Amino acid sequence: MVGAADGDQAGECQADLQTDLGLAGRVPRQADPPAGKPGQRAPLTATGPLPPMSTAGGPWPTAPAPTIPDRAGPPAPGAPGRGGPAALDETCPPAAGGERRTWRGPSGGTIVRGTGELLITLGLVVALFLAYELWITDIFQARTQSRLHNRLAATWAVPARPAAPAPPPPAPPLHPALGAGFAVLHIPRLGAGYAPVVVEGVGAEQLQEGPGHYPGTAMPGQIGNFVVSGHRTTYGKPFNRLDELRPGDPLVVEISDRYFVYRMTRSEVVAPTRLDVTYPVPEQLGKTPTSAVMTMTTCNPKYSAKTRLIVFGTLDKTVMKAPGVGVPFEPAEG
Amino acid sequence: MYGWIYRHLPGPTLVRVPLAVLLALAVVALLFFVVFPAVEPFVPLNDVTIQR
Repeated sequence: MVGAADGDQAGECQADLQTDLGLAGRVPRQADPPAGKPGQRAPLTATGPLPPMSTAGGPWPTAPAPTIPDRAGPPAPGAPGRGGPAALDETCPPAAGGERRTWRGPSGGTIVRGTGELLITLGLVVALFLAYELWITDIFQARTQSRLHNRLAATWAVPARPAAPAPPPPAPPLHPALGAGFAVLHIPRLGAGYAPVVVEGVGAEQLQEGPGHYPGTAMPGQIGNFVVSGHRTTYGKPFNRLDELRPGDPLVVEISDRYFVYRMTRSEVVAPTRLDVTYPVPEQLGKTPTSAVMTMTTCNPKYSAKTRLIVFGTLDKTVMKAPGVGVPFEPAEG
Repeated sequence: MYGWIYRHLPGPTLVRVPLAVLLALAVVALLFFVVFPAVEPFVPLNDVTIQR
């Protein structure tokens, strides 16, 4: 009885191995050891019953295992080291023991692991989204800005003659198309390299290119309110450090032939719906403007949309461009 | 999930590992260029304008 049980187990084990490895029919196999004669090869069907849970196409990879020597037969002379009876003994017991090598649908462990992997993936996606917003969008915007700068440089020819001593000619009319760059903003307080191109429009697409000018508000230098919005934390964060400006700081708007030097007057934190800061005379409805002012808006506090940070400025002077004369970077007061 | 994907990649380890890396990069590219720009308008990080 014991011998028969042993034989059954061995038969199961080998049949299991063969079906799992997809080698049935190729691997020489021996009949039930107690009944068969040693060394005799018998077809698979003549051996003991297949294990009940064994499936033909299990989820395990069909590893290329050249030959599996018979359990009872003599070890093949040229067989690799792992092919001996000892190796079989290593692989058999779990199979003979039953369920570990058979697949019967997702188990509790699989579901738990799958859920865990899904949650980790979700976390990674959120982290990636943050990385995208905070750094990748900067790269996009830097490329767009460099394209806008090149386009402006191509259309803005530096005047060959020296600056006219007489009253400057009227500024050329600006009618930029939506999304087109038309001016460069310089704020000495934020560094000499600070020079984002201001584009027309404040839609999401335009603001991804650079600070956007509200269509319908005054153009640089014109009487009225020149209103510009810019990103604070994403897409190059042009207005990130707007809170560092102090009253008196120059805000230089460069157009094709001149610089308009505004000076910051004050800043304010307002609700996102305070449209009145964009009025021709800021915060005063229906008044006719008599001076050229400038308003910059961005989100506040950083990484939030709760309020808006508003910076106001007033036109101080106009400086004509001339060869060899750079941006009028006067030291900021205070 | 990840184990399942790895098991279903073809070839030996030397082929599977680069394939898995390529697959991961493709997913990241899809996120960066398609999914995130589509999701972005719903995130308050980018609200800088004054409007009603």
